[in-house]
Amino acid sequence: MNYILIFLISATSLFAQITADDVQTINLNNGMKIMVLENSSIPNANMYLFYKVGSRNEYPGITGISHFFEHMMFNGAKKYGPKEFDRVMEANGGANNAYTSQNITAYTNWFPSSATEIIFDLEADRIANLNFDPQMIESERGVILSERSTGLENDPMEELWDAVQGTAFFAHPYRWPVIGYESDIKNWTKEDLENYFNTYYAPNNGLVVISGDVKIDDVKKLAQKYFEAIPAGPEPRTVHTVEPEQTGEKRLFVKREVPSAYLMIGYHVPETGSEDYYALSLLNSILSQGRSSRLHNSLVEEKQLALQAGAYYGSAFDPTLFLFYGICNDTIKASVLEKAVLDEADKIISNGISENELQKVKNQQLMSFYKTMETINGMSNTIGTYELFFGDYKKLFTAPDDYKKVTVEDIQRVAAKYFTKENRTVGILNTEEETE
Amino acid sequence: MKKSDRLVPAKNSVTLNLFQGLLKSLNKMLKQVQHDGHNFFRLIFFFVLSSSSLSQFKLPAYEKLELENGLTVYLMEKKNVPLISFSAVFDGGSIKDGDQPGIASFTAEALKFGTANYTRAEIDSIFNYYGSSIVTYANADYSGLYTQFIKDNTETLFQVIKEVIMNPVFPETEIEKRKQRWIAELDQAKESPRSVIGSYFNKHIFGDAPYGSPVDGTKAGIGGITLEKVKEFFNTNYRPESSAIAVVGDFNSSGTKELIRIYFGGWKNESAKIIMDMRIVNTPFEESSVYLINKDNATETTFIIGGYGITMSNEDQTQLDVINTILGGRFTSWLNDELRINTGLTYGARSRFAQYKYSGTFYISTFTQSKNTEAAIELALKTYYRLFEKGIDEETITSAKNYVKGQFPPNYETAGSLAGLLTQMYVYGLTDSYINDFEKEVNELTVERANELINKYFSKDNLQFVLIGKADEIRHIAKKYGKVIERNLSEDGF
Repeated sequence: MNYILIFLISATSLFAQITADDVQTINLNNGMKIMVLENSSIPNANMYLFYKVGSRNEYPGITGISHFFEHMMFNGAKKYGPKEFDRVMEANGGANNAYTSQNITAYTNWFPSSATEIIFDLEADRIANLNFDPQMIESERGVILSERSTGLENDPMEELWDAVQGTAFFAHPYRWPVIGYESDIKNWTKEDLENYFNTYYAPNNGLVVISGDVKIDDVKKLAQKYFEAIPAGPEPRTVHTVEPEQTGEKRLFVKREVPSAYLMIGYHVPETGSEDYYALSLLNSILSQGRSSRLHNSLVEEKQLALQAGAYYGSAFDPTLFLFYGICNDTIKASVLEKAVLDEADKIISNGISENELQKVKNQQLMSFYKTMETINGMSNTIGTYELFFGDYKKLFTAPDDYKKVTVEDIQRVAAKYFTKENRTVGILNTEEETE
Repeated sequence: MKKSDRLVPAKNSVTLNLFQGLLKSLNKMLKQVQHDGHNFFRLIFFFVLSSSSLSQFKLPAYEKLELENGLTVYLMEKKNVPLISFSAVFDGGSIKDGDQPGIASFTAEALKFGTANYTRAEIDSIFNYYGSSIVTYANADYSGLYTQFIKDNTETLFQVIKEVIMNPVFPETEIEKRKQRWIAELDQAKESPRSVIGSYFNKHIFGDAPYGSPVDGTKAGIGGITLEKVKEFFNTNYRPESSAIAVVGDFNSSGTKELIRIYFGGWKNESAKIIMDMRIVNTPFEESSVYLINKDNATETTFIIGGYGITMSNEDQTQLDVINTILGGRFTSWLNDELRINTGLTYGARSRFAQYKYSGTFYISTFTQSKNTEAAIELALKTYYRLFEKGIDEETITSAKNYVKGQFPPNYETAGSLAGLLTQMYVYGLTDSYINDFEKEVNELTVERANELINKYFSKDNLQFVLIGKADEIRHIAKKYGKVIERNLSEDGF
């Protein structure tokens, strides 16, 4: 009998829910910060390395280099030459990927925890001693051109998104696509890559998050052994360009053969973590989260005007765009869908939202939080994202409460403040431009 | 449009579909669970607690029972977050479409069009209000319902789920509205060659046999759907005795068992039962042929090369998965190494077994700029033939074995994936050994055995091709690989 009781108690403590205090931080002498969340639900762990560099750190001539650089991180360093990073990792049971956004570059490793030390060794090698093999640069250029063209080939919305961003912004680097302009992709030099590495890939410009079946003391030893000797670099220069206020509606048209028109409307809004962030984030959910959301229910289900309709408000260090998007139903004109989308925005400005609707999106936020904490990948990615974009990972754990503070008046206020005609950019992609 | 952050990844998902890729056909363990649930429970908790010292991953404890109406129920407690995942499966996959391509998928979605007590909009609103959503779907072999919710809302949402499964009323206005949009979506889906090439390939391989029917249907098939046809499909195929429910998450089994009995114990279907013999004979190909799909504005060619594969219950599948990992199932696979890393011809090249209950396919897939079409096809074939000409060596096989073992546990980390697994085990007649013997099977693969399996399962001759691209630019290339059958992407169907 005692035997069984012990099992039950252990099981409970094993599955205890995670709090902010469970995240432990290691600060290395070179300025590198490592956050660790022990979790032994599966015999695996991950290591997420975030660098505070993305396409917003580029300038014309080298657009897309952040993303290209991300690819080059897999193409050889000092101890592990070309192809070795992936070969060694996979032979040890690990897998990896990486992504680049306008704001950050993240490298992700997923591995059985028995391989933890080899992952440290692989990462340390490329952070300290990345090597640019001219042959690898050339073949990777082909890969990126293929990545760019396959994205455009398969998704008209991607082409429209590029055009809307390029029009809504004319000063800030958010105006070019993360993947870069084709002409820049074809013309970067080895020196451009070396400069980029020296500027942004110092340990003090990075953040490491490890979750899974590891122990903090072991991680600390490994971090000291492999990462601490890598020298710190100078602080990269800040992105100081501020997009001037938009003072009139901008419109654009993209010509492409499609069965029905694509629409995207962008409004300038503040960055992640700003005062209006939580209200805008909930407004996004009201408009687009779930089939009962305003855009889907009204435009797709009720009025049959669109095949898809939604909104998007992503993480950003600088003021960004709040996007509405839709794909027209068969014979529906883009102008009709545009009017219907704008009407939905206006309804919120004029009539506000109900308490019930607000409670719904708060419940959705709570659900998202739990889903994030369900996997070790969700944990690492979200802890890193909050630490970078909110300046403190603890905001992740207070997020359900932070959202609770938002009122129906806040939602109406931010809708009225940002969804104005002079603040918007309207993009349409279609086979032919509509005549009035 | 993806609703994720706008990120540009370094590597496309050249990951293995382990969920489909690693199944077993023994039936012993399940019976043991039924008869001896308690011992099994303790045993598994021991494994979970010791998981850090034993790297081997085991299926967590669960209970399986059958209600009086024949409905099979799986319960698995998992308490790391206060969520519950619910997966139900029905014998209503697209292999039952017959002459109405899309009826299975449409019927699955129509479950949510309204019930005795809730309208379509109310169903969505209730789930969304509690932070949740409800999904109904069909694939080739079965149809299903999936949802995940916060545990406090279980009973409220069970009331709705129960009606969606047992009392859908299929309002005609909702059916007509959805048909119109569905047809427009079929046109729109063809904007993305990579998302429709699989349907063309299945059509090319299986022709008019059930697996040739596209899961999402055709414009003609959807256009011909009527209220009567939806009702008929529902009444024939949605029956408790051929369905299963899996609940995984933060609950106590005894209480949830009672709730399941209360809500789903009364499900009856007294309409005539139609027994269909779904056995499928894979007619061997006598020659290679190329299905060339013209896309006028294409800048690249998307292509697939392959043939027949294996079923979901194939006894060699775990070991075949290791072999496929080497060929095209991971970033350093031969195909990705040659077509992406060495030559920069593509952003990604892969291969996989697509397994179904009664048949399956094996294929290589990639894409490249139109002008590189021939170079990419040649290199893909040359790389594939390495399997037969050089075989696999010890070092490569050891690496692949470590890789599939290391990447296995995260596939079953969430309650949702475990609920999906349990219902798949039901559909495909799989046992716990699918998970629990996985590592043993992998370890037992030798170089000799691998080379035997290559000759047994991988098609060497009469390969079948699908190319989607600009026909005028690639027709002469297509001809080199076999008899060409040409169609326009904009034509209805696949």
